[in-house]
Amino acid sequence: MQLFDPTSSAPKRESVRAPALPNLEGLRIGILENGKLNAEELLNEVATLFVQRDGCTISTLAHKSNASAPAPSNALTKVAQEVDFLITGLGD
Amino acid sequence: MGLASPRIHEVPDDLLSAIDFCFDQGWTDGLPVVPPQVDRVTAMVATDPRPPATVVATHPATGLELTLHAAAVNAVMAGCQPDYFPIVVAAFEAMNRPAFNFHGSTASTGGSAPLLLVSGPYADKIGMNSDVNLFGPGNRPNATIGRATRLILRNVFQMLPGISDKSTQGNPGKYGFCIAERARGNPWPLLCETQGYPAGASSVTAYAAGGFCNIENHGGNAPEQILISVADAMANYGCITLGQSVVILAPEHMKIVGDAGWTRKKAQDFLFTKAKRSVEGMKAVGKYRDREYDSQHAEGAHPAVEKGFMHRGLTPDDILITMGGGDAGGHSCFIPSWSRGRGSIMQHAPIRENK
Repeated sequence: MQLFDPTSSAPKRESVRAPALPNLEGLRIGILENGKLNAEELLNEVATLFVQRDGCTISTLAHKSNASAPAPSNALTKVAQEVDFLITGLGD
Repeated sequence: MGLASPRIHEVPDDLLSAIDFCFDQGWTDGLPVVPPQVDRVTAMVATDPRPPATVVATHPATGLELTLHAAAVNAVMAGCQPDYFPIVVAAFEAMNRPAFNFHGSTASTGGSAPLLLVSGPYADKIGMNSDVNLFGPGNRPNATIGRATRLILRNVFQMLPGISDKSTQGNPGKYGFCIAERARGNPWPLLCETQGYPAGASSVTAYAAGGFCNIENHGGNAPEQILISVADAMANYGCITLGQSVVILAPEHMKIVGDAGWTRKKAQDFLFTKAKRSVEGMKAVGKYRDREYDSQHAEGAHPAVEKGFMHRGLTPDDILITMGGGDAGGHSCFIPSWSRGRGSIMQHAPIRENK
């Protein structure tokens, strides 16, 4: 008996990691918050640690209106030009 | 177009062994499936005139693609007949729209399930149930179309419980959640008509459904009495959000509403006006957020929005109401949307009947 495989036969999208930053001294931080409860507060706390420890500056706060949907590509493109690294994560 | 050729597995020529093989591969929802034999899949996919490699939907996070062929394999496994397949395809064409956000709604702790509402003559043509025991078992197209949706999410899009599907509790609709809109005795235009499809066309509406809430009222005999019961369910503290709503009125309830001359719009307006909680109450249970209040009360807000209150949804149009179920019984239902907000907006698509 021959059975077709029900799983996807299409290739998965390739993902690559960004290269590690050589150091964090004085870099510009972007924050992408996802709109969930406490997300902005949590990410600001994290960013403040980088400000205190590494002399970073918080230069951009971007919002997602939908926590579970990918960030709009135009928003990411804009933020990428303004910051050296981005902090994001789930709130709640 | 999907890129790779469909894979074929050779298994012993024994049906029970083939069923066990599908279990062993992790391809099932926990129940036995129909082994997706090549000839059955070929007959299923042939109901769509497009090439089998046509991509119907793409996962926004992983890029995994649903081809017509993969949809047909899973539809066979679910127990679908070939003439059910256009509904499965239309459902994913609707869910593929970004506003439906099928990644979020199927991955979230919220545990939603895609509710499929089939409207129009195609439902009768393939023998769907819109009548007694509407959401219950016993009708093959209702059961297997809903199940095919789940199997596709599992097998093609890899929404696996505990890994990519993080539902806290899930809901029973995740086995299958598919009904037909009842046309018989329905005083209102069918959904497919209000959605703008030509006469004779049918549609499927997909909705990320958070569960099922029974609304019992056997004593009310005025539209306001019935609909206040519905509004109360919509606005209970566990359910109220800015999200959309689906309300399926039982024929007994619809007769009360329809005989009094209420239109769908009047019922929507009434429900939106009544399904609300005070800001103080929302604060008392810890669910109040300035951002949500502002989005509902901003300039241009619907005129029925009342200061100091959170309503369910943003406008009356967020409430889909129609009729379904058996003739006897004052049991309607409210089906809340996924989780807390407007992360998924219901979508509809035409059913492409292969004549």
